[in-house]
Amino acid sequence: MSFKLKTVLAFTVLALSLGALPSAQAAKRLTAPDPDWTGGVVTCRIAEYIMENEFGYKIKTITMPSGPGVFEGVRSGDLDFACESWPSYNPAGDKYISEFGGDGSVAYLGATGIVGKSGYFVPRYVIEGDAARGIPASAPKLKSYKDLNQYGHMFRSLESGDKGNLIGCPVAAWLCEDQKRLDMLGVDFHAQALGSETAHWAEMQAKYKRGEPFIAYAWAPHWIHAALDLVEIELPPYDEAKWPATNWAQDITHFHGKTSLPAEHPQVATLLQKMNLTNDMQAGIIYEIDVKKRDLDEVVEEWMVANESVWRQWLP
Amino acid sequence: MSAVIDNSQPGGWLNNLWEEHRGWVVSVALFSLSLIIWKISGDETVFPENWSAAFPFSEKVDVFDAWIRPYIQPTTRAIAAGAVWLYEIMVDFLTFTQWQVVFVILVLPAFGYGGLRLGLLAIIAVSSWLVLDFWDESMETLSLMSISILLSIVIGVLMGIAASQNDRVEAVIKPILDTMQTLPAFVYLIPAFYLFGIGPPGAILATVIYALPPVVRLTNLGIRQVPAGIDEASTSFGATRIQSLIKVKLPLAMPSIKLGINQTVMMALALVVLATFIGSPGLGDIVYQGLVRLNVGKALEGGLAIVLMAVMLDRVTYAMGHNDHTSATNYDHEFRLFPQSMDNVKPILFLEYGIDWLWRQIAALGTLVTSLITAAVCKLVALYDADFSERLREVLMARSFLIASLVLIGLLLLLEAYSDLYGNFPRAWEYRFRTPVNQFMDELVTDKLFYAITTGIKETLWYGLINPLNSFLKGLPWWYTTAVFTVGAFVFSGRGLAVVTFLGFLFIGAADLWTFGMITLTTVTVSVLICFIIGVPLGILSAYNKTADAIIRPILDTMQTMPVFVYLVPVIMLFGAGQVPSVIATVIYALAPLVRCTTLGIRELPVEINEVSNSFGANLVQTLTKVKIPMAIPAIMVGINQGIMMALAMEVVTPLIGGQGLGLQVFDGMNRASIGISLEAGLGVVMLAIILDRLSQAWTRTQREAMGMV
Repeated sequence: MSFKLKTVLAFTVLALSLGALPSAQAAKRLTAPDPDWTGGVVTCRIAEYIMENEFGYKIKTITMPSGPGVFEGVRSGDLDFACESWPSYNPAGDKYISEFGGDGSVAYLGATGIVGKSGYFVPRYVIEGDAARGIPASAPKLKSYKDLNQYGHMFRSLESGDKGNLIGCPVAAWLCEDQKRLDMLGVDFHAQALGSETAHWAEMQAKYKRGEPFIAYAWAPHWIHAALDLVEIELPPYDEAKWPATNWAQDITHFHGKTSLPAEHPQVATLLQKMNLTNDMQAGIIYEIDVKKRDLDEVVEEWMVANESVWRQWLP
Repeated sequence: MSAVIDNSQPGGWLNNLWEEHRGWVVSVALFSLSLIIWKISGDETVFPENWSAAFPFSEKVDVFDAWIRPYIQPTTRAIAAGAVWLYEIMVDFLTFTQWQVVFVILVLPAFGYGGLRLGLLAIIAVSSWLVLDFWDESMETLSLMSISILLSIVIGVLMGIAASQNDRVEAVIKPILDTMQTLPAFVYLIPAFYLFGIGPPGAILATVIYALPPVVRLTNLGIRQVPAGIDEASTSFGATRIQSLIKVKLPLAMPSIKLGINQTVMMALALVVLATFIGSPGLGDIVYQGLVRLNVGKALEGGLAIVLMAVMLDRVTYAMGHNDHTSATNYDHEFRLFPQSMDNVKPILFLEYGIDWLWRQIAALGTLVTSLITAAVCKLVALYDADFSERLREVLMARSFLIASLVLIGLLLLLEAYSDLYGNFPRAWEYRFRTPVNQFMDELVTDKLFYAITTGIKETLWYGLINPLNSFLKGLPWWYTTAVFTVGAFVFSGRGLAVVTFLGFLFIGAADLWTFGMITLTTVTVSVLICFIIGVPLGILSAYNKTADAIIRPILDTMQTMPVFVYLVPVIMLFGAGQVPSVIATVIYALAPLVRCTTLGIRELPVEINEVSNSFGANLVQTLTKVKIPMAIPAIMVGINQGIMMALAMEVVTPLIGGQGLGLQVFDGMNRASIGISLEAGLGVVMLAIILDRLSQAWTRTQREAMGMV
């Protein structure tokens, strides 16, 4: 009996000591979600590169769909910080961040410098045609939403029937309200929600490759503008009172994190507050990754080496 | 003769028609009636608004969730901390130890339980993770799997024992298990993530919930199947109930329990991949990233690694349940790398003999090592207790493989600790095939002819099947559809199912999900119909032709183990997004059971049938269409039943490529972090699943009875 007891004890001690190993280094370990679009990952990686190489942190990244889940994770402390949150897509943020009128259970850590803008786009060949590819201009006078009805038949699709088809916001939870916007603006189009961002870009790329006319929702900065030549269609200027019958507001994207982060990791908090990445910088990196199909980490590292003078200014 | 007489009487032919083709008459009448009602009612049906207003199910669930969370979160977080602790120990061990050592540790059980053939399979699987450079990810997935399966076994066996001892417990557990198996996993991924946390803990516990049912069921079944006589015998020898359970019944139920574990493995792997949605690491993450970036090649690489892991774990756990592998003393030419028919090809024969010889030398070496160690240990023990030493010798020698393996692993670990012998996996041996795959896809998508073909398929499906059925089902008044299904349930099954059907449809309507429900019904019907049209001929072909079978079978295996995300990407790229591609993806997923069941149904028919029908002068086609296929209908119906269930499961994944049914609501709820919305739509899927499952089962039963095959 005593022999058995000793074995059990020995194993417990062994297991405990093994388990204690990782927690000894927990002080310099942070966890952050990888956003599910390339631009977001780039912003994240740049911040994480500095934390790892300058401050000696070890960052664990988790892939998960962005949305309320990320806020919940930050609030509960599973995630330490999150990068590039777009306020107009994250109504959940209003519930948590006190700067937006929330309960303060998630801390606002500073703007990323990326200014986002969403809207409806058509390929340039729809308006101007493309002689080289032999595509005629299918909607030469298309400039604003008012012109859409007269070209409705050009944008028909299998599932929209006789109406024109708008490849709308893919995920209903983003609250783009495409169909409502079209109806309120008197545009007789059907808004198609493809269910996932992947399907959305795939559909746009496939149509573009075949030179078919289409109108689709997209945002900038995004690699799609580097891959396809798109022109934005005018919508009425943003007005909160008239939403959704207006254009989107500009999105001043930001970092957020758990409330104890500034006190526990002051270096990280200062970095995230001072960091100021511009749309142009991000777009250049995205182009390398998504259009030239290069490895993300490799491109980011290359950029970090070449632009040391830029990011040195963000250090505490 | 009597038929002739009947015909002469007035109204006789009508009577005859009714007697002979009752099913068809009712179907045609029902269909015409439905068409008329559909024409009259016109637009989309609307469920009474004040009914749905009086049923705020999702809101109530969300309120309840917000209220209860703070109370149970401390407990769940503590459980999660335990799971994470185990997980991290395991991952740290697997990823920080040199790959050569881990390789050996992973491959040895396959050799031990399944012999040379399975061992080689394991070597291929483990090497693939190295070659594709997914080592860390594979180790993460493997750790998640191991811990989830371990927890499922512990909890599942205990629950199964409880259910087997008490009928009341069984009555409570059974419907819960049914719901657990049909409820879309997305529904409880959200609560799992809130309660247990992001990443590994949420993934592990959601997987346990998902993978638990087979263990519980089969443990319960295994214990209950122990003949009453054995139980009586053991109690008559003075064993208490507990003693009889542990010493007699459990060992007898072991094969059944092992079968349950084997089933759990495959289910666990499916969910570990899906759990990427709550930040689970590992191979699923690779596939998900491939999906998000439309990188077919990357998704396919991840998928391949997962399939190989699934096959390896499946075969190893299967072999553990059936350890009747050949003993080392059997000196026949038993190891085969290639089919037996190629035995006369000399080089293959020599190769097989060579490997076989090598294998036997290794086995002999292992036995030698074991006997040396056993001798040493037993000599030492014999100093204290000679009797115990003898018994120890027997125990040790019976586990020759285990001991030799432990020695090998120990040596390797020692070598790692005290030498720099091992290096990293050579970069030059790594190979990724994503670039050629992506280039191929790019060319395919832009190819004019191919686009014409895919568009043709798409338009045929849409205008020919989906769109008409969509508007038909959406247009039929809700009370009419409910009534038809309820009456159908009553006729085929009885009062119980009729009540369930009635309540199920009312729930879907009152939850404001009617249109979504009808779209789901359309997708499922069309998908299963196409599966039937493609699957039955394939099944017949594979039943008749060995070569076809050899080609079709591995493809089906791959289709069933490949994570669905992997083929969502090419489906979007080729067919765009929307309801048609959802149907196509569903067909890919749900095809396998139909082919399998058809093959099985035709193969299992008695041989005499061929002879009898030949002796009546029927040719091959006649035998097939007039005799064999009708007789195989019950088996085919089982396939259809499984196909329906799989199509419903797929409903929750297709929103990723534009699926529009109930699954979209489940998905939306997840995106909005609303458990209420997810659960409501998830329950809608469960209701439809239960109704369609029981209906098709009841129908099959009436068919079987009509054919006298009870």
